[in-house]
Amino acid sequence: MRGMIKKMTEFKMFEGCTIGNRIPFIEAASRRVFDKVGIETSQTNFSCCPDPTGMKSFDNDAWLVIGARNLCLAEAEGKNIISLCNGCTNTLRGVQYQLKHDSWKMDKVNKELAKIGKEYKGTIDIKHFVDVLSDNLDKVKGAITKPLDGLKVAVHPGCHYMRPAEWMESDDPMRPTTLKKLVEASGASVVDYGEEILCCGSAVTNAYEEHGFANLKIKMDAIKKSGADVIAVNCPACYQQFDTRQKDLGKKYETEYDTPVMYITELYALAMGFTPDDIGLKFHRVRLKSTLEKLGL
Amino acid sequence: MALDFEFRKQVMDYHIGSDLIKYCYQCSRCADNCPITAVTTDFYTTTGYNPRSNILNALLGYKDAIFNADPLTIWGCTVCDTCDEVCPQNIELTEIFTFLKNQSIAAGNGPDFVYAQAEAIFESAKAIPSQPAIERRREQLGLPPVAAPDVSEFQTLLKNIGTQRKLK
Repeated sequence: MRGMIKKMTEFKMFEGCTIGNRIPFIEAASRRVFDKVGIETSQTNFSCCPDPTGMKSFDNDAWLVIGARNLCLAEAEGKNIISLCNGCTNTLRGVQYQLKHDSWKMDKVNKELAKIGKEYKGTIDIKHFVDVLSDNLDKVKGAITKPLDGLKVAVHPGCHYMRPAEWMESDDPMRPTTLKKLVEASGASVVDYGEEILCCGSAVTNAYEEHGFANLKIKMDAIKKSGADVIAVNCPACYQQFDTRQKDLGKKYETEYDTPVMYITELYALAMGFTPDDIGLKFHRVRLKSTLEKLGL
Repeated sequence: MALDFEFRKQVMDYHIGSDLIKYCYQCSRCADNCPITAVTTDFYTTTGYNPRSNILNALLGYKDAIFNADPLTIWGCTVCDTCDEVCPQNIELTEIFTFLKNQSIAAGNGPDFVYAQAEAIFESAKAIPSQPAIERRREQLGLPPVAAPDVSEFQTLLKNIGTQRKLK
């Protein structure tokens, strides 16, 4: 029946600095998956979100006004935002939350925005792409033509996807389940490793590498012990922490760490029939050869 | 150790639910669940990064214990928000730590990478500026170009609120 087919509203795509300007192959996989699922997006000239670990720590007022300005750009078109990144989602939802609950901050921010001819009203919403996929799980399942049978996946949803719960309003902040459900929908199986909610340590590694690596070792040792073929992530900072730093971690602790890291949309793209070349899997640092062989690709 | 009442007031005012922080009873659930406390402290948690003592010192106004200490005292936080979730008093610890970091930055004592990232954002309105090699890769992957932000408007906003002055 026609009335039952609800056309999905178009989102403004917030790919973020890291994905857009450093690891665009993740955007390629995500856009292909969105097309298959029927998630429509369009672009706007967003700035940096800005980063909830770096820029927020630098100057919270700057974090608020930059975030609010980005929200204004989406408000001008009356569209909700879909974000490909935990950090961007966390910032945009955090700014929205703080301005909604603190009239003093709202007045201060709008006073500054008025000087550049803008006003934040709070009329749009910000969605993490994981939640949008989860809301459309039937369509996701319908688009899967090559289930990833036999693939063992360790999930890492990442801190800013679900915490702080007050403003993320997505998943259980300490016992998240959404990414597990998404992985299972691909035909792969989830392996529990006991450190699912442990931070990847990206933020602290930038200031204190030894502490970041000590934390990463706890995470990677648990994943290695679980026998996972691949780590599934939904954040570019976590992706980079695992993909680029496993090798150095191995050198530091004289242990081999070589578990491939994949965005959930990369797993989906393969399960929806795209080839590794279509989505640029060759740009991963930790080689995916063993994973692809296991999948017969 | 001197008490700084102005600092104490700033900490109180910073908290959205401003009276919550007063009800911290130092149970240490934050430190027990902190991934960085786990890898930096000894058994009695007398060294390393400790969110519990940061809240205590901030609450009491012991400014020196926070700012005239090893920078790890403030910058050991990896912003995972775990402490916020486990706190039985619903204290927004990470927001207080944001305030402490902002103060550390304004005094010129933050880690280099934080200044470097803020500089990149100020210059290009992106934490990671657009590069020709990546633009070509986007094209090869069938992606549209990233929509370029209005850098001039962006910089006006930051100049007006004084962010530029905090850059090194």
